Amino acid sequence: MVGVLSVAVNLLMALGMAGGAGLWIDRTGRRSRTRRIIAVVVGAGLGALTWWGITSVDKLETTATGVVVSILASGLIFVAANKLFDLAPDRWAVFTTLVGAACSFTGFAMLWGNRVIDGPVLRTVVATALGAAAGYLLGTVERPGPRLAIGTGAGAALGALAASGMRAVILVFELEQGTFELWPVLPDLRYVPLAILTLAGAGAGLVVRLLRRRETPLLRSLMPGAILGYAVGAWLVPDLGLGTRTDAYVAAIGVGLGIGALVGLKPIPDHNARGQIEGSARAYIFLIPALGFIASTLIIPTLRTLFLSFHDARGQEYVGFVNYRDVFGSPNIFNLEGWAGIFGSKLFWVGAVLILFGMGVSVVLGRQSGYRISFSPGSGGIAALGAMLALFAVFAAMRGTLFNNLWWVVTVTVISTTAGLAIAVLADRSKGESIAKSLIFMPMAISFVGAGVIWRFMYLARDVSKPQTGVINTFWVGLGNLSLSRGPGFWIAVVLSLGLAALMVRLALRAWRVGERGIGAGAAVCALPLVWFAYALWRGVGGFEVRDNGDVVASTIQFAQQAPFNNVWLMLVLIWIQTGFTMVIFSAAIKAVPSELIEAARVDGASESQAFWRVIIPQIAPTIGVVITTLIVLVMKVFDIVKVMTNGNFGTQVIANEMWQRAFTELNFGLGSALAVVLFIAVLPILFLNIRRMQKAAS
Amino acid sequence: MTTLSSTGGPGLGKRTYAFLRSIPTWVLWILVLLWTIPSLGLLVNSFRTRNAQRASGWWAVVVENWSETLTLENYADILSAGAQGGLWRALLNSLAIALPATVIPIAFAAFAAYAFAWIDFKGREWLFIATVSLLAIPAQMSLIPLLQLYSGGGHLTIPILEKTLTLFPDLDLAGRHVSVWLTHTGFALPFAIFLLHNYISGLPKDIFESAVIDGADHFKIFWRLVIPLSVPVLAAFAIFQFLWTYNDYLIAVTMLGGAGQNFPATARIAALAGEFGQAEHLLTAGAFLSTLLPIIVFFALQRFFVKGILAGSVKG
Repeated sequence: MVGVLSVAVNLLMALGMAGGAGLWIDRTGRRSRTRRIIAVVVGAGLGALTWWGITSVDKLETTATGVVVSILASGLIFVAANKLFDLAPDRWAVFTTLVGAACSFTGFAMLWGNRVIDGPVLRTVVATALGAAAGYLLGTVERPGPRLAIGTGAGAALGALAASGMRAVILVFELEQGTFELWPVLPDLRYVPLAILTLAGAGAGLVVRLLRRRETPLLRSLMPGAILGYAVGAWLVPDLGLGTRTDAYVAAIGVGLGIGALVGLKPIPDHNARGQIEGSARAYIFLIPALGFIASTLIIPTLRTLFLSFHDARGQEYVGFVNYRDVFGSPNIFNLEGWAGIFGSKLFWVGAVLILFGMGVSVVLGRQSGYRISFSPGSGGIAALGAMLALFAVFAAMRGTLFNNLWWVVTVTVISTTAGLAIAVLADRSKGESIAKSLIFMPMAISFVGAGVIWRFMYLARDVSKPQTGVINTFWVGLGNLSLSRGPGFWIAVVLSLGLAALMVRLALRAWRVGERGIGAGAAVCALPLVWFAYALWRGVGGFEVRDNGDVVASTIQFAQQAPFNNVWLMLVLIWIQTGFTMVIFSAAIKAVPSELIEAARVDGASESQAFWRVIIPQIAPTIGVVITTLIVLVMKVFDIVKVMTNGNFGTQVIANEMWQRAFTELNFGLGSALAVVLFIAVLPILFLNIRRMQKAAS
Repeated sequence: MTTLSSTGGPGLGKRTYAFLRSIPTWVLWILVLLWTIPSLGLLVNSFRTRNAQRASGWWAVVVENWSETLTLENYADILSAGAQGGLWRALLNSLAIALPATVIPIAFAAFAAYAFAWIDFKGREWLFIATVSLLAIPAQMSLIPLLQLYSGGGHLTIPILEKTLTLFPDLDLAGRHVSVWLTHTGFALPFAIFLLHNYISGLPKDIFESAVIDGADHFKIFWRLVIPLSVPVLAAFAIFQFLWTYNDYLIAVTMLGGAGQNFPATARIAALAGEFGQAEHLLTAGAFLSTLLPIIVFFALQRFFVKGILAGSVKG
């Protein structure tokens, strides 16, 4: 049976693939027989490949079959529901008949599925027929009296049918996994709470009616609450299984009677109202599959994670804020102690000086152009670079998972955005633009895990007695050798870097004299590291160390292990991946800027740089905003790279990996949930930003 | 180019200017080179023998005696080796995860996007924004409850009354691919709905009106008009989602847990990367194989992929 089914299913998959390929090949609209034959062959090939792939792995076959069958079944239900509501406007009686049958069938099928009733097949068939008959009568009979009688009669009959078959015996059955006790059904009815709950339900209905000030008939607005109250009182409050069959009759018939009466009291809707029923039902038929999935995989789990974060490791005892206290109290996660170290780091002071210098130049520029302060690419760039360095110093001193995450977010977002923008501008209308862009974009197709492995080989550090095989350490050790050698290579490097520095200084002086102060300052700052490099080369720089006994040996950088900057090496991997993404988006945005705008600016005498900063940047500002928010959310959740490269060791832990370890290796669901909630709160502002943006777009 | 005055400037000499003018192109290609080196190194090393990989860096391939150092053995080994059927099986698992996890959300999202775009109902705008704003919710928020759901079913204990209702039976899904599909589907839907809605709501209104005059209902319009017209955006989303699910590690490793035989390629490579030493030379071949299919898909269908990314982020 399963064999036949899976053959059929796989055939269907092959046909589906053939159809898909056909659609794709046919998309130009030029339909020709050859193309169609190609499509069928390609599709059949793909289908056969899938089939062979799935059947060659045991278990996969039955799983795949089950899932394809359930997808087909849901598709069928979807189509059937659509067809059903097609009937509503013009063929009302047929519609009500089918709805009546479907409702009774579903209800009894649920009882059947939960093994609550005896003789389920016969009872379900009878109930379906009964529902269909009641539906037909309610769809045709117009006088209110008979309608009420039909409704109540059918409801009571269905209730009685269910109650007559309910199991009274406790069922115990043994499976491989253990003994299971099926709960018996008959309710031990108590009439006082039943009456109180029914009245309370009716009262709630009255309150709702008063609040909504609708002119619905009094009885109809009281009944839903009363029925709900009765159902709770009859089935949820009493102990199940200890009652008598009479109790079951009372409980089931009461509910059936109420629902039947509610339906019977409504008159047949006129044509307009039927159209409305059809329209709104249609919206929900189209929405419910997606919304159901979203509710069950996103909304409800989110609420449950919140709930679990206030409970112990097994999710049973309420513990209040203990998990959150553990998160923020742990020195591994949140640690401010190193703050004093910020002021001891050279990086911080270099950054601070650069910020001041950049600001100073900007003020000078501002005087020139009449603003209080004016950032040009040169001066603004210097200040931004300084801010970056200072932030690095801060994050290098403040250790802990939370600060690591912030460091990731700042670094990857800023560098990916600027690099992507820069590459988009550089590539724009240059030779080989598409090839260059493709190559930079390609890492987007590589998994984070794959990228982690790729960079592991870049960062590889081998024992110093052997030749290095990682690209970066090879350079590093080579640099050390160069610096120590004092041979011709050394002199060439020194002269080259000093010469370049001299060039930069010359450019800076010229630009300054011409009035391009920003460029001048930028070039001057560029000259500094070149001079420093020449000096460092002289003093000795790169992969070597001097032992106590005077021996000089090679030394490598352990990129993954040496805290705190190992974090930066991990970030580089994500930057490598994400820059392609930002570049592609910025490239499209820049191409979308109307060329008349740029032309107009040029005519008005704007330089290239002014056209870029004053015209293009403001035009693509919304895109920059979107890119930054997308990146922040993505980087906040960074997991795979850290997991593969260090697994959070050596001071590189991030929240997502911490959460995974607590929850799924230590099975501490409380602490894991609390960490997930911390992550959620961190992206919450972005979520609100997105909502605001969409509301603006909608209006 | 952007940082220089376009006139050449009275102060900066013509030659200097011409030199500076060519800098952007140089910088661009140097960046491209830097960006390509990591992947190139991996690709080259994956064809070198273990000894060659340990003796020198991948760039040495230029000067080596190829008959001694180049080999396909790494690929043969990684595909078959290992207790759980080698990488071959993991690659099949990747496909078995990625294909359904791409198809299922497309179907559901297309229905929903159409309803949000063209069916009038109360609270439409509000519901749409609420749905799409879920885009930013981290997957971590759902992992624990979903794993519990797949491995033990969903139960609701009503407080005070102390009655437990079973909302979702224990189908023992954890460790099977189904659990990964379902999870991917749920996580993909907000983005898919957003992307498809952007496109479908931009279709010209006239065709819908004339279809309604011809007596077509929503269902017919959806199948006969909207789906054929939306093929570009459906393809864009399909490629995006395929790459995403094929490359996913977090959800697969969480939901499949100890069921190593069901691991996709990413999880297998990650496990391999955790074992140091002997297998390191195989890791190159493994990592390359696991990225081969996404890269082919990417280069073949880059146009659609870019379109999808752009529609998803720029229009918002």
